[in-house]
Amino acid sequence: MLSHVIEELPQLLVNGLVAGTILALPAIGFTAIYAVLRFPNFSIASHATMGAYAGYVANVWFGLPVIPSLLLAFIIPALSGVACDEVVMKPLRRTGPLTAAIAAVALTIALENVIRFFFGNDLRGYDLPVWRDWRIDLGFAFLRVGPQQVENAAISIAVMAAVFLFLAFTRTGKMMRAVADNPMLAGIKGINADTVARLGSFMGMGLVGVGGMLLGLDTSIDPLTGFRAVLSVFAAAVVGGLGSIPGAVVGAAVVGVGEELSILILDASYRTAVGFIAILVVLIFRPRGILGERAY
Amino acid sequence: MTAPLLSARGVVAGYAAADMILKGVDLDVHPGEVVAIIGPNGAGKSTLLKAIAGILVPSAGSITLDGAAIAGHPPREIAARGIAFVPQEQNVFPTMSVRENLEMGGFIQPKETPRRIEAIFARFPILAEKRRQAARTLSGGQRQMLAMAMALMVEPRVLLLDEPSAGLSPVAAEALFDTIRGINAEGTAIAMVEQNALEALSIARRGVILVDGRNARTGEAAALASDPEVRRIFLGG
Repeated sequence: MLSHVIEELPQLLVNGLVAGTILALPAIGFTAIYAVLRFPNFSIASHATMGAYAGYVANVWFGLPVIPSLLLAFIIPALSGVACDEVVMKPLRRTGPLTAAIAAVALTIALENVIRFFFGNDLRGYDLPVWRDWRIDLGFAFLRVGPQQVENAAISIAVMAAVFLFLAFTRTGKMMRAVADNPMLAGIKGINADTVARLGSFMGMGLVGVGGMLLGLDTSIDPLTGFRAVLSVFAAAVVGGLGSIPGAVVGAAVVGVGEELSILILDASYRTAVGFIAILVVLIFRPRGILGERAY
Repeated sequence: MTAPLLSARGVVAGYAAADMILKGVDLDVHPGEVVAIIGPNGAGKSTLLKAIAGILVPSAGSITLDGAAIAGHPPREIAARGIAFVPQEQNVFPTMSVRENLEMGGFIQPKETPRRIEAIFARFPILAEKRRQAARTLSGGQRQMLAMAMALMVEPRVLLLDEPSAGLSPVAAEALFDTIRGINAEGTAIAMVEQNALEALSIARRGVILVDGRNARTGEAAALASDPEVRRIFLGG
């Protein structure tokens, strides 16, 4: 048993870190929207699916490589996020976060079925070059790493770095952080909350869309691609500290590695329970999350 | 006396339609003067400042700046017209650095921001020292100083201060009142709500006493401070 664990551990850790890196993007998107708009926008599920399909159209129908396809995977959900927020969520946000969260669930079901209407229920795969996995001999175990996995993780890290630079050094990024920190004071200082709400929805849903495509690159896509990931994304954001962007990254790593390591003791079909357990543990011992809410 | 720069007439405002905190308040602030707004808890002092700053929309009455109506306008428009409000609490962006807070203070005048930040750092050396520190790590006095410095970033015509000395040690409060005197000496008109009524009246040219959402007394600050009835009821002396 112990030797089995030692042999499996490095592989599971690598898989978990890669999964966590990819999970971090939608988690950042979710937490950024929460920080600015103050409600959990569960329509990230359908927007992740939308990103996966937008990337699929660019990659398979138009024959574009992965990187340009990711641009479409960002833009389409980003625009949809802004439109949905203006038309559906904005009038409901005034009634409180619970109503808005329920409306977001309804919205995600509607959008998911729009995607199903156009693309059907079939599993679809991207048009990717076939690469052989790298095998690394650790002495006590072999590590298999897929080049696509590495590329996905690298893309995710590059996007995260861009987000951090945007928030740290641009006027628009600082404006968003100011609203996340203290919306009333931001208004007094002349920052337009409506503009920031649109920017938050655009950036947040765009990141969710890129995350959706990266999830699809690793496996395949169908109309439930985003829905299957939403619990892990929510868990990552809560574990890291809802509203905290570095927290979302840390939370994604914890959930990603946790889900993989759970395979050592649980059947793989129970891995999504790790998200629930992580939320439970954090709410008991550190209710504001690992890095605390609304920390940049 | 010159025409008031900021004028509020018969302002009625509150947080619920059935429970108006302000029941018809008047306030004038003339160019270059300090007006102290004092009164017991719940009198509506902070509510008045919030109504002027656009955080609360008055249900009746008028508020004008230089004769132009501003009541009910969004806070960002009122800020752009030259009114800077420093709330009592949560008056800085806690996770942002001191420098970033100042940048946000000057958000509506971005071209002037670098020059004014340097001027603020020259005026408040402690903020220059801590420019890269997150605002949440500052002491109470330093945080109030930063809040005031953020307001100065737009070189306001009227500065609204809500209980600036609340929660500060006597030494820090005294330093803050010196800063307020300095800001006023440069020509900025100030309307200040303050629990430390004697100190507020000593800085102010005029005073307004609010009781239960209405003007109870208005007059020269020195006269109010020496009025036996005012001293007995409001100044504890």
